[in-house]
Order: sequence, then C-alpha cells, then structure tokens
Amino acid sequence: MNTCLSTDHVSVSYGSGAATVRALRDVTLDFRPGELTLIMGPSGSGKTTLLSALGGLLTPDTGEVSIMGTTVRGLDQEEAGRLRQRSIGYVFQAFRLFRSLTAIENALVALEIGGVRGPRALDKAKAALEAVGVSHRANCLPSELSGGEKQRVAIARALVNDPPILLADEPTASLDHASGEQIASLLRGIAAGARRIVVVVTHDNRWLERGDRIVEMSDGQVTKDSGEIQ
Amino acid sequence: MGLAWRNLCHERTRFAVTLCGISFAVLLMVLQGSLLTGFMRSASRVIDASDAEFWIVAKGVACFECATPVPARFREIALGIPGVIAVERVVAGAAVWKKPSGKSQLVYVVGTEHGAGREFPLPYLSGSEGPLKPEMVMLDESNAELLEVSGAGIGVEINRRQASVAEVISDFGSFIGQPYMFTTYRDAVQYLGLSGEDVHFLAVHASTGSSLARIQSELQSRMPEVNVWRREEFAWEAQTYWTMLTGAGSAILTAAFLGFVVGTVVVSQTIYATTMENLEEFATLKAMGASRFYIQRIVLTQAWISGSIGALIGVSITIPLVRLVKQSIAWVYMPWWMPVSMVAVTLGMCSLAAIVSVRKAVSVEPARVFRA
Repeated sequence: MNTCLSTDHVSVSYGSGAATVRALRDVTLDFRPGELTLIMGPSGSGKTTLLSALGGLLTPDTGEVSIMGTTVRGLDQEEAGRLRQRSIGYVFQAFRLFRSLTAIENALVALEIGGVRGPRALDKAKAALEAVGVSHRANCLPSELSGGEKQRVAIARALVNDPPILLADEPTASLDHASGEQIASLLRGIAAGARRIVVVVTHDNRWLERGDRIVEMSDGQVTKDSGEIQ
Repeated sequence: MGLAWRNLCHERTRFAVTLCGISFAVLLMVLQGSLLTGFMRSASRVIDASDAEFWIVAKGVACFECATPVPARFREIALGIPGVIAVERVVAGAAVWKKPSGKSQLVYVVGTEHGAGREFPLPYLSGSEGPLKPEMVMLDESNAELLEVSGAGIGVEINRRQASVAEVISDFGSFIGQPYMFTTYRDAVQYLGLSGEDVHFLAVHASTGSSLARIQSELQSRMPEVNVWRREEFAWEAQTYWTMLTGAGSAILTAAFLGFVVGTVVVSQTIYATTMENLEEFATLKAMGASRFYIQRIVLTQAWISGSIGALIGVSITIPLVRLVKQSIAWVYMPWWMPVSMVAVTLGMCSLAAIVSVRKAVSVEPARVFRA
C-alpha cells in the first residue's frame, strides 16, 4: 500500500488585515505508515489547524498537503470529499456520533457514504465494532454508551472503510483515566497492526510513551520533531 | 431515508413541534382559502346557477345583488338577434319577510322565468320542466332557522303578500346578510311591488352551435345602453366587485393572503430550523467525505417527511373543521382541489425551505468538526 501523508511548507492564516492570525507557518512534515505521531503543544499553537490541513478539510494559503499522493490544492469540494472518504478516518474529542443512530448504524453510514450497502456493509460494520471491542453494544444509541464506548464506536466508524490514515483530535480528552488508557492502546495497535498512519493531537502526557514520533508546535510552527527525516 | 427519518424520530418533541407548525400552516391556508373561495363562489352563485349564455345588465351594475332596471323592450330586441332562442326576465330586490312569530327579516327576493337553468331554484310543479307553482318561494336550509321555517308548506308573508315555502334548498346560502328567496318572475314582481313589465336582468340563451362572440357583439351593438356579458364575465365581475371593492371582501382576501403568507413562513421557518438543528451532523458527514448530493438528499427527505405528515394531519383536521364552520358560515366552500393544492403548496414550501437550508448544510465548513 502506497501510504503517504505530507505537508510541504504549509501556511494557514485566519482573518484579515490587522486581525490576521497565522495559525500555521511554513510547516513541512512527512508521515510514515505504521507510525503513531503525536502532535503536541499549548492551546493556540496550531495543532488542530494542522490536523484539519492534514485531513484535507481546509486548503492552505501556501504550501501543499499531499494525501495518498494527491495534492489537496486544486481539488473541488466533491473530489476532496471522495479523497477523504477513501483515505482518512477521523476521531474527534466530542465523538461526533450520529445521535439518532445505533452504534452499528453509525458505522454503516460511513460505508454508505462510500457506496457500500447491503449484507457486505453489515458484515464490515460488525467486524469494525468487533475489532474495537464494542460488538455487544452494536444496537445501542450513543446516549446509551459510556464515553469510552462512544470513542470506540467512533474509531470503528473511522476504520470501517479501512483507510490508510487515521486522524484523531484529543481522542482521550473527554474520557476518564481508564478509558483513556484503553483508547490510547487501541490507537497504538491500529497504527502498528495495520501499518496505518495515525496522527493524534493531544495535550495528554500519557500518550508520550505510546507515540513513535512527537511533533511539538508553538505559534504555528514545528518547534521539535522527534522523528524528523534527515 | 434512514438518517433523515431517524433524526426526525430521535428528537420527538422537536418533530412534534415541526408537525404542529406545518399542520397549523395547512389548516390556516385551507381554512382561509375556503373562506375566500366560498365568498367568491357565493358572489356569483345565482349567476352561475343559470344556463344563460349571456346576461344583460344595466350599465354600472357589477353584481347580481345590485339589481337595476333595464328597459323591458330589450327582451324583444334580444329575441330578434339570430341565434338567440330564449330570454328570461329576472328581477331581484329586498323585501320584508314576516316570520311566523310576527318578527320581520329582510330577504333578497330573486324571481325569474321558467327555463333559467336546471340548477336555478324555481318552484316547479314537478321536476324542472313542468309549470311553475304560484305564490311559492324557496329558501336555503342555512336560513331556515332565521326565517323560522321548519319545512315545506309553511305559510309566510313577504311585503304583506301571502306565500308558501315550496322547498328548502341547499347550497344557496347568502353572504350579504339577507337570505335569498327564490320565486317566479311573476310573484317576485308582486312581492317587490314592481310593475308587470319591470326587468332587472335579462338572461339570454343561444342556440347550440351559434357563434357566441357574434351574438354578444350584436346584442351589445343593438343595446348600447346596457352591458351584455357572457355568463362567466358577469360572474367574474361579481366576484371581483365583492372581493375587491367591498370592505368585507377585501378583508377576506387580505386574511386569505395573510393566511397563505403566515402558513408559508411557518412551514419555511420550521423546516429551516430542523436543518439547522442538525448542522453539526452535516459537518461530520462532510468531513467523512459525504457528497453534496448525499447531504441534500437527507435534508430534502427530512423536509418531505415533515411536510407530508404535517400536511396530512393538517388536512385531516381541517376537513371536519370546515364542516363545523359551515354550520355558522353557510357559504364557506372547500373544493376538492383546495386541500390538495395546499398540500402541494406545503410540500413546495418545504422543498424551497430545504433548498435554502441545504445550502447552509452543504456549505458548512468541514473543519469545524475539530472544534470541540
């Protein structure tokens, strides 16, 4: 699998005139399959903007983001959407599960967006829930799940299309200690087991021992990269 | 369908409020529409009941209730036009009806000759072909209580002349405050104290196959002192007069218009709010790579589900309600197309509101998913 995610001199700014905030400044990073990369830094350092850029959710002012060999700039909304659907799974701090759908239906939505329906979709959704250990909660609504279970369902939804890239924004911030540990272990295993690129934005120092690589950011710039490719 | 339906059902209170809003909007539109339709229909009800192709009316007369004399000799002139096969004289005017209890009530006497039309109320001896019964009147069932008439055969007094009720009819409820009282031309002339040859309107029948345009043109050129209208033209004039030029009609028209506006605004706002409620979910779908079409389909499906169920509830409430209203406002009229068209309007408004709100949904910035 030609797994590839990179940024090349990416800059992003918000606002205009005197109110312009430069959220990312000339960020160049390359991510490797099977590696769990932690992006750390204080609030406002540009972590989430970097994650949005990596996820193809915003187009940088300058520089290029490449997802699976495709440069995001120049793609229209639909093309960018298809690229995201094929290549990236997202895990959010607030879970962002569809509150009216059960756990398995949440996973099925991700498959439906990709055009997978019917018994095959059901099998894949069941397998995804099984893989994260919440198959016994398949028919529960998000409101009936604990925080840890919700995040597991969110991870199952993110992985159900078997994307090569998983982006997680503060995935343990809303969880208690034990659940956070379990989710961290799960993501660690996902990176190593399936040779995926896993990028986790976090403040949580418990992640430090699980990350293969730590990128530290401040004021929109990468200040330290433990795994920089020379 | 799955996510759209489940979203609606999940927030049951919200869905119930949505359905209430749409049902209320449909009820408002159908009820106000029925009032307006009924008013307009009543305004030309007597004209429409005739079979005459043309009506000859005095200049300036815009409705049946503004009866004004026309020269009686015009009947003979009209009969002389090729293609004209019959001309009925019609008189109308206010008279005092003395109730059995001795109280008085103003009524609007309408008298015409044999052959005015199969639907035109006339006291025939048998069917609509036989001779007319003298000193007989017909009135609408909605006015029976007011006039203290319990049924046919009741003896009454109109402008101090004796009469009997031949039949209590339906669908001729008056909207002018004076019940219609149908009788023969001869008797109406007597009740109204007119001379034997007085005429207020002439109802002209043309032979089958003759050119109506030519006959109308010839009638008008031979009688420039009056207006010669096709039946539909006179009906439209009457409807326009009562609806646009009278206070009551304008109020009903305005109320119907406002009802429509309020209804559409309620529907639009309700659907828009439903979409906005799920904006975060649409952002998540978009981040996950959902196409615009996928999101548009969800929003439109939600709108159509809400619109269809809401409209059906609204119509099912409105139909018995209109029947109830009809008991006190006899001329209210809900044609079959009224609820059907209002359901269509509601679905159209739902679609329009969905299209407006879907723009918001599909233009939502997917990057917002990372904002906790």
